[in-house]
This record gives sequence, structure tokens and C-alpha cells, in this order.
Amino acid sequence: MLKVGIVGCGKVADEHASQIQRIKGCEIVGVCDREPLMARQLYERFAVKRYFSDLMEFLGQAKPDVVHITTPPQSHFDIAKRCLELGCHVYVEKPFTLYGEEAERLIALANERRLKITAGHDDQFRPAARRMRALVESGFLGTGPVHMDSYYCYELGQSDYAGALLGDKGHWVHRLPGKLLQNIISHGIARIAEFLVTDSPHIIADGFTSPRLRDMGETEIIDELRVIISEEERTTAYFTFSTQMRPSLHEFRIYGAKNGLILDQDQETLIKLRGDRFKSYVEKFLPPAILAAQYLGNLKTNMRNFIRSDFHMKAGMKYLVESFYRSIVENTSLPIPYREILLTARIMDAIFGQLDAQRLARRPILRVGRAANPVEATSVASRFRASASRSRAL
Amino acid sequence: MEFDDFIIGRDDLILITGATGFIGSKLVQGLLKSGFRNLRCFARPSSKLERIEALCDRRPAGAHVEVFRGNLLSREDCLAATKHVALIFHLAAGRGEKSFPDAFLNSVVTTRNLLEASLRHGCLRRFVNVSSFAVYTNRKKLRWRLLDESCPVENDPWLRGDAYCYAKAKQDEIVVEYSKRTGIPYVIVRPGYVFGPGKTNITGRVGISTFGIFLHLGGSNPVPLTYVDNCAEAIALAGLKKNVDSEVFNVVDDALPTSRQFLGLYKQHVKRFKSLYLPHFVSYALCYLWERYSDWSAGQLPPVFNRNHWHAYWKKTRYSNERLRTRLGWKPKVPMAEGLRRYFEACRDAQPYA
Repeated sequence: MLKVGIVGCGKVADEHASQIQRIKGCEIVGVCDREPLMARQLYERFAVKRYFSDLMEFLGQAKPDVVHITTPPQSHFDIAKRCLELGCHVYVEKPFTLYGEEAERLIALANERRLKITAGHDDQFRPAARRMRALVESGFLGTGPVHMDSYYCYELGQSDYAGALLGDKGHWVHRLPGKLLQNIISHGIARIAEFLVTDSPHIIADGFTSPRLRDMGETEIIDELRVIISEEERTTAYFTFSTQMRPSLHEFRIYGAKNGLILDQDQETLIKLRGDRFKSYVEKFLPPAILAAQYLGNLKTNMRNFIRSDFHMKAGMKYLVESFYRSIVENTSLPIPYREILLTARIMDAIFGQLDAQRLARRPILRVGRAANPVEATSVASRFRASASRSRAL
Repeated sequence: MEFDDFIIGRDDLILITGATGFIGSKLVQGLLKSGFRNLRCFARPSSKLERIEALCDRRPAGAHVEVFRGNLLSREDCLAATKHVALIFHLAAGRGEKSFPDAFLNSVVTTRNLLEASLRHGCLRRFVNVSSFAVYTNRKKLRWRLLDESCPVENDPWLRGDAYCYAKAKQDEIVVEYSKRTGIPYVIVRPGYVFGPGKTNITGRVGISTFGIFLHLGGSNPVPLTYVDNCAEAIALAGLKKNVDSEVFNVVDDALPTSRQFLGLYKQHVKRFKSLYLPHFVSYALCYLWERYSDWSAGQLPPVFNRNHWHAYWKKTRYSNERLRTRLGWKPKVPMAEGLRRYFEACRDAQPYA
């Protein structure tokens, strides 16, 4: 029986506890939160064995094999480091760490201690996303990806989280280097990182505060972001984060030399795009019929999964957690390769570095110049990391 | 109001949390009108202050209304806000939260912070905890039985599938727990559905529009309404009257309309829309099936509709304000008909959603 613990007993911890309790062969031996009342409420509702308000006491007495870290991101690195040092495998909610450098250090520590660590990129393990991965691996695209398009949007107007965030300048999201973006975009970036080959793609980022937020008096939070990612004149990707565009997409498009795929996370559909064209008017009639048939197929799959009770909103999390536990117990490969976690962190570093430089410059963005000079992006990111490290040291 | 009957004098400091809200602003208005001259209104940094500012502009000569901007999750803010305070009306709550931890954090942890801060100062004479009818279980009662202050509250409130009910039940618990441990005098006030201009939605006790069409579920049940001015006065009296420590007061008005009457009046005076009546046995059966499916599927559908919920919201129940009348001398100043008229008028102006 795998002994599991949760550190951080807020909203996300509920999702973790629910999914862990659906997995056979494990039990939650303890939960921990600096605020004892929060730890107690999770303990009561999920019939957990014990609750703690001190991390070291929790690790020493509950002795978990695996710890899920669901605290605000500022504390991910320190808590994960402690857990690894005391011999626990670690599942860290997204964003994995604040900086790429911290991600590198955690992964190095895990390797050194022969422990495993993973990031909470659970959207990549939802049913349609798994079908997409299987198709890509089977060579459906023809070659490696030529281009990708990742949308990860967020409706600020309809969430309690947004209300709390915008209403409270002391909210922990305001203290993240990338603020709102850092807490949300890693899912969409990780989708791209999964299919990149090199470790240092060129990044060009542009972001701004939407008119709607500006009207509400918000100037610090960037809620519109566009990113171009390219590697060695081979694969390119666009990333879009928006709070304004409708529909508020969570979509991923990937195109190879032969075919393409469209993954819609909200509708849980996967659509195959044929590379070949039909002749003449057939192209006008047959592809729509093929697409309609594919949507019907997706509907059938979704309904079947729902009837089988395998279509939970957090199905991706259950799959990821289960795969992570299996990799620990059977000592097999991890569901998310370390390279992908690191690359996601590096891309995010570069994005926030560029946005920070834009903010500091307090002048209109030199879009053409920046686009033409990826080296500048790298150097800005390095400067940003260096200044961030200095701030932390202080 | 007679000051001799009260636990504090007109110049003692009163703290009101949630003072900018729907009920809180009416409470501030009522206290000022009753002659209390030293009020501190706790408001979140994001709260809109129009209501309080309007009251400040119209405050009687000599009255002092301080707006304290802060976060109840901050112990420092709570400590500063409770300094020299003789009476706390705690109305702030995590309303509208769908997540259990968020609702808990914004109701229970905040309440604990206030209680602890008050203890540090040692000058508090009463803590008025504003709770809700939502905490009552109403499960082991016969049809038409009375729901009053003696009724049991939910033992395992999370099983209701309603984060607000859970947080409020836990908030009540922590107040009682602190009082037992530290001797803080308290009163708990549990209003029914508070209505009036400023609120436009129809209470879930009448029906729900979750599935695209308005499902009328209340039928001939009385709806436990209380008009906002009447409710604010009941809360004020619960905080001020002598010899009511550790008591609980339910707040409902007189002449409660049935769900069917309320819906009919709403359609007549505000907006016409289609609704489908579900008899009680049908809504009960659907709640039962939903609950079973939720269990069987390990939460594929969250257990938001279940038998506990049905008993609390849609079971035929009578309500009483007897204790309010006898112990506090309260009676609703705004009659139900007048309250409904004002409410419908405001709804019409606000383009409500039914």
C-alpha cells in the first residue's frame, strides 16, 4: 500500500484527495497545512488518517511514500526539496517551480536520491489528449510536428478565483514573477514542450493588460499573451492566452507534413485533419461529412466513457497520478519526462523575462526588432533570472 | 429602542464585518438611527463603499463611522479592527463560493481570527455570529413540522454537497467552541432567505434554473423569507439585548407566501418566463437518483442534489419567529406585502434573471 500525503489543503487539494481515493493500492496517511483549521477540514471530509500543521512533523510521523504539493507556487521549491531530502517521491502541482533553475535543482536532487518527481500537467492526460498522443506516436502526422498552435484561455469574469485575485492586491498570485500567467499557462506551454526536440527554442513573447482589466484599475496583471516558439528552423508553435476572446479556448492543434490533429479540451474531442485533398467538388462535400462523422465518433466515445463512469472532470489528474504511482511501484518510466518539465519551465522563464523587460522599459514594444533577435530574448531572460535570484537571496 | 435594555452604551465601539453588503449596510443604517455613535465598518479592499459612504453622508450629528479596509484572513488586520470594540456583528462570509476549502477559509478561518483578536483585547461584550437557515438538517422531521431554534443542525454538513452550508455550520461550531473554551459571549442569528432591493435572484427554495428551464420545486411550501430591513433589526437586537447570551435566533417574517404564490407574483410583477412544476415526490426521487449515481460513479457528477439537500430546501416545513418576538421584542416593521412590492419593483428595474 502506497502511503500518500498532501501538503496544502486549499481548493486544489480537494481535487487531489478525490482522485487519490479513486486509485487502488494507496491511502492518504496525512494532510498538512500551515493553517491547522484548513488541514482539519480536509481531514474530516476525506476521512484521512491524520492532519498536521507542521511539515517536518507531518513527514516524520505520517511517513508518506509520496507527497502531493498543492500549496501556492512560491513554496513549491522549498517543500519539494524537504520532501526529497527525507526520502519521499513528489508530485508538484503546476506551476512546477517559480524559475527553471529551481526545477533543475529539484530534478537533480530527485535523481541523486533515486526518487521520482512529477509536475501537475494533468490536462495532458485527459482522454482525448491521450488519444492524440497515441496517434502522434503511431506516425499519423507523417513526420515530426511542423507547427503547433496552443490556446489556453481563461474567463476572468466567471470565477471566484478572479474575484479574489483582482480584489486583493496581497493575493499570492500578485507575488508570482509571472503573476496570473504563471499560475495558468503551464498547461498550454507543456503541450508544446512535449513535442519540441531541442532544449533551447527561440521565444518571442508579447503581452499586455486587457482594456477590461485596465478599466477596472488593474495595471500589473498581464492577461493577454501571444508567444512564438521556434526551434532550429524546424518546428514552430504559437501560444495564445487570452481572457477576452470568445470562445475561451483550451485547444491544441498540431500539424505534420502529412496530416494534422485538433484537440479540444473543453469538448473533449479529437479531430483528424487529412493532408490529402479530394479532387474538384468532392473536396467541398466529402470532408465536411468526414468531419461530421468524426464528431459523432467523439460524442459516442464521450458518452461511453460517461456511462462507464470514466469521464470525470479531473480524469486527467487521476490518470497522471496513477501513472506516477505505477512508475514508483514498478520502477518504470515517468508519465512526464524530466526534459519536458524543464523545457516548460525554461519557456516560461523566457516569456516572463521578456514581459518584465517590456514593463521595465515602459515604452511601446519594439515588435519587429525583438522578433528579429532571439538572442536578445535569451539575454533578457538570463538577466531576469539573475535579478530574480538576487531578489530571493536578499 | 431603550438603551437600558442593552449591553452597551451609545458611545461604545461596534464593529460590523460585511458592512458594505446587502444586510450589513442596513444594519449600519439601523444602528445609526437607533442612536449608536461609534461604528467601525470592516470592508475588504475590493468592496464598493457607495452604500456606506451614503450612510456616512446622512449620519446624525456626533456619530462617527470609520471604514476599516482590511482582510479578515490577516490576523494583524483583525487585531487592529477589534481594538476597543465592545460588540461585533460578524456578517462577512464566503458567499457564492463553490469550493469547500474556499468557503471554509472565508467563513471559518476569518471567524477564528476575529475571535482570537477579540480575546487579545479583552473588551468584547458580545460576538454576534450571523449564520443561516442552511445549517439545519430538517431530515428527521415529519411534513409540516415546525423548524425552530431547537432543530438539529447538520452533523456532517459536507454531505449536503453545498459549500455554503458546510462553511456556515463549521462557523457556528467554532464560535460555540471558542465560547466554551474562553468564555466569549456570543449570539447566533440564523436568517431565512433575506430579500429586498439589491437582490434579484429567486431563492433555490422556490426552484432552480440549472437545467435551462426554471424547475419549480417548492410547490405549496412556505418560503422562509425575511425582508432585509426586518432582518437587520433582528440582528441588531440580538447583539444589543441583555440576557440572551449563547442563544440562537431564527429570523423569518410573518405572512410567508408559499413557493407557488411567490413565483406567481414574481412572474406577474417582474418578468414572465416558463417554469415546470415538479411535484415533491418527483424532486425527491430525482435527488435520490442523483445522489446514488454520484456515489456509484465516485463523483463523476458532484453530489449537489441529494436527499439532505431536498429535506433542507424542498420539504414542507413551517417556520417560527416566536423566540425573536418573545426574547428580543422584535416584530417585522415592513409587512410582507410591502416588502415584496419593493423587491419586485427593484427586480424589474435591475433586469433580473429568473
